[in-house]
Amino acid sequence: MENLIRYAEKLFDEVEIAVYRSREVSASVELNEISMASTRSGAVTVVRGIKDKRLGLAIVDSDEERRVKEAIEQAAKMAKLNSRDEKWVSLPEPGKYREKPRPNYELKEASPDQLVEMLVRGIKLAREKDKNAIVVGGEGGVGWEESHIVNSHGIDVFQEGGAAFFYLELVGRKEGVVTPGIFDFDAKRSLDLDVKGVVERAVQKVGWAYNVKASKNEEVPIIFGPWAIAGLFSYALFPAFSGERLVKETTPLAGKVGEKIASDVITMYDDPFHELSLEPVIADGEGVPTRRNVLIENGTFKGFVWDNYWAKAYGTESTGNGKRDLRSGGINIGFHSMVIENGKRSLEEVISEIERGYLVDGVQGAHSSNPDNGNFAVTANPAFLIEDGEVVGSSVFLIAGNVYELLGQASEVTKEQTVMPSSTTIITPFIKFENVKIAGK
Amino acid sequence: MSTVMTMEALERALKWAEENLKADYIELRYEDLRKTTLGLKDGVFTSFTGKLHRGVAIRVLADGAWGFASTSELDNLEKKIEEAYKLARAAAQTKKEKIQLAEVKPVEDFVESKMKVKPREVDIEEKVAHLRELEKLLKEDEAVKSVQIRYEDGGGRKVLLTNEGTRIEWDYNYLYQGTYVTGKADGKLAMARDSIGAVDYGWELMTKHEPNEKVKERLLRKMHSQLKGVAPKRGEWPIVAGPIVVGIIAHEALGHLAEADLTINSPFKDLIGKQIAPEYVTMSERYVEGGFGNDKYDDEGVPVKDIHIIENGILKEIMLNREYAAKWGMEPNGHARAESYRYPPIIRMRNTIFEPGDHSFEELIEDIKFGYYVVDFRGGQAQLNSAFQVGIQEGYVIRNGEIAEPIRDTSITGVAIEALKKISAVGKDFGLEVGFCGKGQTAFVSSGGPHMRFDGGILIG
Repeated sequence: MENLIRYAEKLFDEVEIAVYRSREVSASVELNEISMASTRSGAVTVVRGIKDKRLGLAIVDSDEERRVKEAIEQAAKMAKLNSRDEKWVSLPEPGKYREKPRPNYELKEASPDQLVEMLVRGIKLAREKDKNAIVVGGEGGVGWEESHIVNSHGIDVFQEGGAAFFYLELVGRKEGVVTPGIFDFDAKRSLDLDVKGVVERAVQKVGWAYNVKASKNEEVPIIFGPWAIAGLFSYALFPAFSGERLVKETTPLAGKVGEKIASDVITMYDDPFHELSLEPVIADGEGVPTRRNVLIENGTFKGFVWDNYWAKAYGTESTGNGKRDLRSGGINIGFHSMVIENGKRSLEEVISEIERGYLVDGVQGAHSSNPDNGNFAVTANPAFLIEDGEVVGSSVFLIAGNVYELLGQASEVTKEQTVMPSSTTIITPFIKFENVKIAGK
Repeated sequence: MSTVMTMEALERALKWAEENLKADYIELRYEDLRKTTLGLKDGVFTSFTGKLHRGVAIRVLADGAWGFASTSELDNLEKKIEEAYKLARAAAQTKKEKIQLAEVKPVEDFVESKMKVKPREVDIEEKVAHLRELEKLLKEDEAVKSVQIRYEDGGGRKVLLTNEGTRIEWDYNYLYQGTYVTGKADGKLAMARDSIGAVDYGWELMTKHEPNEKVKERLLRKMHSQLKGVAPKRGEWPIVAGPIVVGIIAHEALGHLAEADLTINSPFKDLIGKQIAPEYVTMSERYVEGGFGNDKYDDEGVPVKDIHIIENGILKEIMLNREYAAKWGMEPNGHARAESYRYPPIIRMRNTIFEPGDHSFEELIEDIKFGYYVVDFRGGQAQLNSAFQVGIQEGYVIRNGEIAEPIRDTSITGVAIEALKKISAVGKDFGLEVGFCGKGQTAFVSSGGPHMRFDGGILIG
């Protein structure tokens, strides 16, 4: 890398080279059977160089010196053609990193046989527990990534690690009812995945879904599950924490640091070192040390997150939230592991006190939310009707509202906390919201 | 040593595999593409990227199961094919129902690009100037606070080889531009998006078919309709949906059900051959002029055919790859698509549309006392039971047969197979929008149709 940086320095004022080598092994399910086992391997190198405040980027599917040099030249050509960015200050300097966690090397060598075995066991168990259920899809996979980020200011960070995941999608068909697709999953930094738990939770939800109940317009308590929270918050809420949006005045949180934006039960922070985190990175995508960034503490908004570029443009420090976009090569503000703090009581206890309400497992349409103001309109599906402290059936309804109003209505978070690897990895409990207006159908 | 792969090198590896492995089917798909990505965010190019993508996708069917290997390391391709073979064997261990492929005639062809001016022939300065001009045009409107434009083009060589004798080479090219605008007025914020793209039109898309002026007008109309918009009255009102919204219903709520791998678990399974909509409703998956999903062959080398999913109200045909064609005893119709060499092909849509009917727009709205006209969406999603949810970024109230005030931040929901029955009239116009469809991997797709009227079946609010 050293000589590549030297080579690139001749063409740029500052330069960064990031190499990602990865290997993924997975097996997938279609209609109660394993359909395919796959592997993906290779390397990607990203070159980001700046000359006279002009940015140039190049990406190449390789880590071979000859091709990386080709990418460096390509980036230099791009920089020459780009226009000056007067906001550009500099690439980051080295910082103080936390101690690297020891990676689980078992994951580096994971074989497809282990994944096939887990899936076969999961399918068998699901079919035993519910004869009317079909395992329509599912996947077990292990990913391993090594990244090496080097820049001309002395940043030189090598990181490696992996994670495994397992999910099943079930559809039940009984007495003319076809349930929606019901998912459950597990993900962790080891192969010790909870196949039985995934199946049990999915089968339970399929069981609820056979009993279809009509929904109506009403105002009721609603419990959001991890998948629904991940869906809604990723689009309606999280973008508002971005420092870039503060600079551009497109966040409703501008000027609200220190103000209440949620009820007391909500505490939210981004921390790659949470015990359930799938990627405990010590440095972000541009080599800045990561840390625990509190966003909401007992309902009070604590501050924005930054990458190097926007922090310097605004006159503050990067919070270690620069995430590499491997499609464009650039850095965007993002999160590592967004954690919503859990509570004391179990989901079952929370449900047991609800006279009439719903448990929302998934939401559709969250990506049409408006992060500029927090407005959203989603369909709750699958959603389960709770009556007299018990789940009695499934339903579909519409929730249209504002995410900040919803946060203000949060009354309890459960003890269970789940990691949800979606576009942003979220570690969250179930959250109960009071008096939510729903539109039935 | 990884140099540009020649057809001979691929042939050699394939021949080795045929002689040394007991595979039923071997497929090599090689790509060597150069891409340009430009991301302009409020005056600054945050991405200005040249990309060099090169790699091979290997798919092997052995013992009735699939093994897949994707790699950018091109040396020792034989070993990679063997790895895919071993993966297939591992997957096959417990398999009861062996995967079979529908027979196809091997194809040898070179697929030429239909583009007049390929993006790679256009100077990057011109691309930059084009994006800057669009930004400038948009920012001339005082309400516009933020503009983000993402442009990407790509071009190069794609090759497909199978042990059955298929040899197809594509001169593969595409371009795409997505624009996002945030506006502010009277303390209200609103967001609008627009996308254009093509595989058959080249740079002429930007200069002739979708010039900046046209894109600007669309975006500002959407943004202002939301800034001035009022919240709609929740409920089930008569709805007239424009081509873009009709298209998203065709794609999300119905199209996915007609993808054979999903049909099996959808209500469509038991409805093939049955009347599911009025006889004046026809929905197709077909070649469309300017369609983002157009191609001559799919990624299994099967010629792409036009199909009618719904013909005169009857559910007729579904989208197939070779595996599902064998399962259903049907002919494959060219819907196996892979995003890139990183992925195996799966069943995907291309251009999903409702066919035009014979009503004018005025006829569709004239007798509506109170209802809504929904023009464009922002995000849509559906379930396998055809329940859909579509966010609306441009919509209006219809009052006494006329288009009245705009509405804001809302969505429509329904169950498509129920809503189909409530289609009361089909317009004679036609519109198309391009976009990306995600199904574990991304595909270029289009969707569209005429204006259509639903008397019930769709809930707004």
